[in-house]
Parts: sequence; structure tokens; C-alpha cells
Amino acid sequence: MEVVTLAEIAVDAIARGLLFALLGAGITLVFGLGDVLNLSLGAFAIVAAVIGATVVSTVPVPIAALAALAGVAALGLAIDRVLLSPVYRTDGEERILLGIFVTLGLAIAIDGVLFAEFSLRYAFPLDVASRTIGGVTVLGSTMVVIVVASIALAGLFLFLRRTTLGKATRTVFQDETGALLCGINPRRLRSLIFVLSVVMAGTAGLLWSIQAPVGAGSAFDLTIYGIIVSIVGGVRNIEGTAVAGVGLGLLMTYANYFIGAYQAMIVLFGFVVVVLIARPEEIA
Amino acid sequence: MSRHPIAALRHRLGRFDDIALGVVVLAIVPQLVVGTGMTYQARLLTIALTFAIFTLGLNVVFGHTDQLFLFVGALAGVGAYTTALLADAVGVSPWLVLPVGALLAGAIGMLVSYVSARRGMTVIVIAILTLSLQLAIMELFGGARDLTRGSTGFLFSGLEVTFLTETLGFSRYVAHYYVLLAVLAVLLVGYRLAMTSKYGLAFKAIRQDEVAAESVGIDVVKYKTIAGFAAAAIIGLAGPLYAHGEGWIEPSMFSFNTVDVIVLIMLVVGGMRTTWGPVVGAGAIVYLEEQLHVLGQWRMTALGLLLMVLFLYFRSGIVPKVTAALDGDGRSVSLTDVTDRFG
Repeated sequence: MEVVTLAEIAVDAIARGLLFALLGAGITLVFGLGDVLNLSLGAFAIVAAVIGATVVSTVPVPIAALAALAGVAALGLAIDRVLLSPVYRTDGEERILLGIFVTLGLAIAIDGVLFAEFSLRYAFPLDVASRTIGGVTVLGSTMVVIVVASIALAGLFLFLRRTTLGKATRTVFQDETGALLCGINPRRLRSLIFVLSVVMAGTAGLLWSIQAPVGAGSAFDLTIYGIIVSIVGGVRNIEGTAVAGVGLGLLMTYANYFIGAYQAMIVLFGFVVVVLIARPEEIA
Repeated sequence: MSRHPIAALRHRLGRFDDIALGVVVLAIVPQLVVGTGMTYQARLLTIALTFAIFTLGLNVVFGHTDQLFLFVGALAGVGAYTTALLADAVGVSPWLVLPVGALLAGAIGMLVSYVSARRGMTVIVIAILTLSLQLAIMELFGGARDLTRGSTGFLFSGLEVTFLTETLGFSRYVAHYYVLLAVLAVLLVGYRLAMTSKYGLAFKAIRQDEVAAESVGIDVVKYKTIAGFAAAAIIGLAGPLYAHGEGWIEPSMFSFNTVDVIVLIMLVVGGMRTTWGPVVGAGAIVYLEEQLHVLGQWRMTALGLLLMVLFLYFRSGIVPKVTAALDGDGRSVSLTDVTDRFG
């Protein structure tokens, strides 16, 4: 086994892992802040990729990317206002179940629109030359994924750590009643966080479509990746989610290389089962 | 009044009167709906009954013990693949190995319930755990090509009843409908027996307050494990029947989207914790999906939107709603309605 090959796989794995981390962050933010497991997250990633790939023929690449993110942000805000309000009016286990059911319906509805109107597979065309660093060849698209995803995750951390709004969000994560007593309005923060989470998913979708074309059929898979990463990282722990994303990216890519594609997926799901059995109280 | 034949029959049937009536009605349905050569309608009826059995299984474990099993499709697949492959390997009729598939699925359900009850998992953790298992098992069905022939699948129609097709001359689908109806009838009676026994009482106590139930001596882990076994075995039993109805076995038939989503919707729409909820829910959704065909490619979108509305505003389900509307004890009221019409 060549060291160079292993290193090349590692770079791919990190890119894949950072995309996982973005999706995981999308799940963690909304579940941590409002107990809603967003089963429609992957659909937002695909919507962003579809918008991006559609408008990129008429506008420059950065504008197309921003338009795609603005599109999912607007969609996210509308959905938060219309659909999640009745969910947040319930609490405890009822809210968790209602959240699952409503976002499942939403995922089916968005997938339906995509299948009906945008049934092709979409790719975001980005022409960046490959580079060889110390004998290791890195694809241009892989570099773009690593750089952009790192910036997005770093931005999210800075927002949560350094800004007043971010600190208020973290307060609600930890103790909703306490936050309320400090004069924080959890409902408005939840809207903000929901929009932020779908923008993270949208970023992941756009980046994913640079590496491989995506379509409506991929939406649920992306949701699943997000959930797995979030679970392994600890559903209320955004830093843990980022680490878990990269870790699972490595695990899956190497398993894929050494033992085969379908066995790699079984390893991945098996790992989740082990984590859930080992520490179920962290998710509850 | 006691001389009235229907009242007398009802008395003899006791607490199973509604089940007897319902099964009789369901037995008449194909004769009314399915004309000669109309295989399409007959096929829809078999799908409705198959999914009614899946939903009944989910009702036992999710409705009564709050364990959200999101691997109904995988359990059905385990039953179907086990039965088909084992029958083929041993060279016997699939009818003989049908219980093996059901027991294997049941064992998986039992293990999941035991571990999750011991580890104190909440409903969301069980949901994610079983979803992971669903996806892992699906990968196995699709990936273990040497055994399962991968995504191409294979023919399976070993669960014929020649008495129905050859002697009575029913079409393939109508015959299969009566097989499914017989299974459903047995399961409904079993469900009624279980829920009116100490099991039903224990389930109710556990759902209301787990700690309190434990403190009065109810073994919570045991009852949850039993519910997990029973539900998974029912689903594992229905799996091969589902495959027989389709005439084929392939992984996509058992996927989360094809089975679990639909079964969950059927349960919520029909009404959880009711005897007839799963059957009514399955019938309603199969009928609805059929009507949505006029929308063409927008069918899926409409279904998704409808689901959200149903979940947000009609969470209690059709059967509980109708029961409440009929005021009080829905069972006897609905039966009187029928007897009035006869008398």
C-alpha cells in the first residue's frame, strides 16, 4: 500500500467528512434548540443545489451560490413560521413525535416537487485545476469543498461563541427556562437557528454537487448522514458534531476502500447502533 | 329481543362481535369490487390487507408501548428473504418455513426492545436506532448479491393455496386476499385477547407512568420485550405474504420510504391503540393514494402536504374520531347501526 494513495484517500475523506459535519450541524442546531429532528434537512440541500445549478448559467458563480443560499433561507423561514409554530406549541415527547411527522411530510412534499419539476441530476460547474502537494494529487473540487466547508463551520462556531445572539442561543441549548428568565425569546431564536441550519445544509448541498451530481433521490440519504453525524457527536454538542463528521468521513472512506461499498455502509450504521446503545441518555 | 337472531349471535360472539362483523364485511368486499378479470382492484385490496397487518404490528409496539419501530420494512424483508431462501435451500414449501422467518424477525424485535428497555432509551432514541438498523439491513439485502441476487431480486410465488385457486376457482389475487384476511382475523382476535388481558393492562400502566408501573410490580422490561417480539413476529410473518402478493422479492420493496413511512401514516390516520385503526388507516391510505393518481406527477407533493395537515390537525385518527362522534361505546353503537338496518 502506497503512502501517497493513503494520503490521497485521507484528503477525500476529510472533504467528505466536512460535508457530513455541515449536515450534522444542521440537525444538531434544530434538535438541540427545539427538540425537532428535521427529517427534511436533505431536501434543503438538494433545493440549494438545484437553484445554484439552474441560475449559474446566467450569473457568475459566487452570485449563483449566494442566490441558492438565499433561496433556501427564505424557504426555511417560511416553513418555520407556517409549519413549525404548531409543533413548538406542544412540548416534551409530543413535540418530538410531531416534529418527526411534520418534517417527514415536508420531506415527501419537497421531494415530490423536485421529482415533478426538477427530475434531472444537478451539478454546480466549478473549474478549479488539480494540484499536487508533496506528491499527493488533490482535485480542485476537493480543495474548494475543504476550504468553503471549513469557513462555514468556523463562521458557525464564531457566531455561537463570540456574538451576543450566539451566546443567547447557547443559553437556550442548555436551559430554556433560564434563558426565558434572562429575557431571551426562544421562539425567535429558533426561527433564526432553523434558517441557519438550512443554510448549512444548503452549503453542503452546493458543495456536494460540485463533486458529484445530486437529485431528488439523494435528499433522504443526506438527511440520514446528518442524523448519524449528529448522533455520534452528541445531539446538543456542535463541536462534537464537527469532530464526528470528519471522523465518520475517514471511517467510511477507508472502509469503502478496504472492504467495499456496501460493507462500509453497514459499518457506518453499525457504529451508530453501538453509539446509541452505549450512551442513549445523551440524545434523550 | 334476545330471540332476535343477530342479538343471539352477538351474545355468543361476546367481545369479538365487531371483529366477526368486520371480517364478514371484508370477506364480501372482493365479491362487490372485483369483477371478472379485474386484477388491478384485486391487487389493491391485497396491498391494503398486507399493510393493515404491518400497521397492526406497529400499533402493538408503538401504540401500546411507545417504542417507535422504524424498521418495519427491514423486519418484513427478513421474514420474506428467510422464508424464500430457506424454502429454496431445503427444497420444501415456503408454507413450512414461514414460521422461521416470523420467529427470526421476532427475535430481532425482541433483542432491540430488550436492549432499549434495559438502556432506558426514549422514543426518539429507539426511532433512530431502528432506522439505522433498517438502513443497515437494506444495505445487506442489496449488497449480499450471492445470497439475495442484489437489487435485481427474484421471483417468489410459493404461498399459493391451490384449494382457493383451483377448487374454488378464485383468481390469484382474490385467493391471496382471503389468505391475508384469515391471517388478519386471527391477529385481530389475538390483539383483542391480549389487550383485554393482563398484557393490555400492563401496557396501559407502563404508558401512563413507567416508574409507577414498576413500583406496583410490573416488569417493564419484560412487557416491552414481549411487545417488541410480538410486533416484529407479526411483521415478519406478513413479509413473505407481501412478497407473494407482489410475485417478487427485491430490496426496494422493503425500503423505509416504501414501507415504514406508509405504515406510520396508516397508523396515525386510522387511530393508534384501536382494534380497527390499522385496518381503516390502511384502507383509507390505499384508497387515497389511488385517488391522487389524477394529480399525475404531483401525487407525491399532495401526499406530503396532506400528511402534514393530518399530523397537525387530525392526530387522533379516524377510528377514535368516529367512535367519539357515535357517542360513548363505539363498538356497540356501530353494531346497533347495522342491526337497525337489518331489522
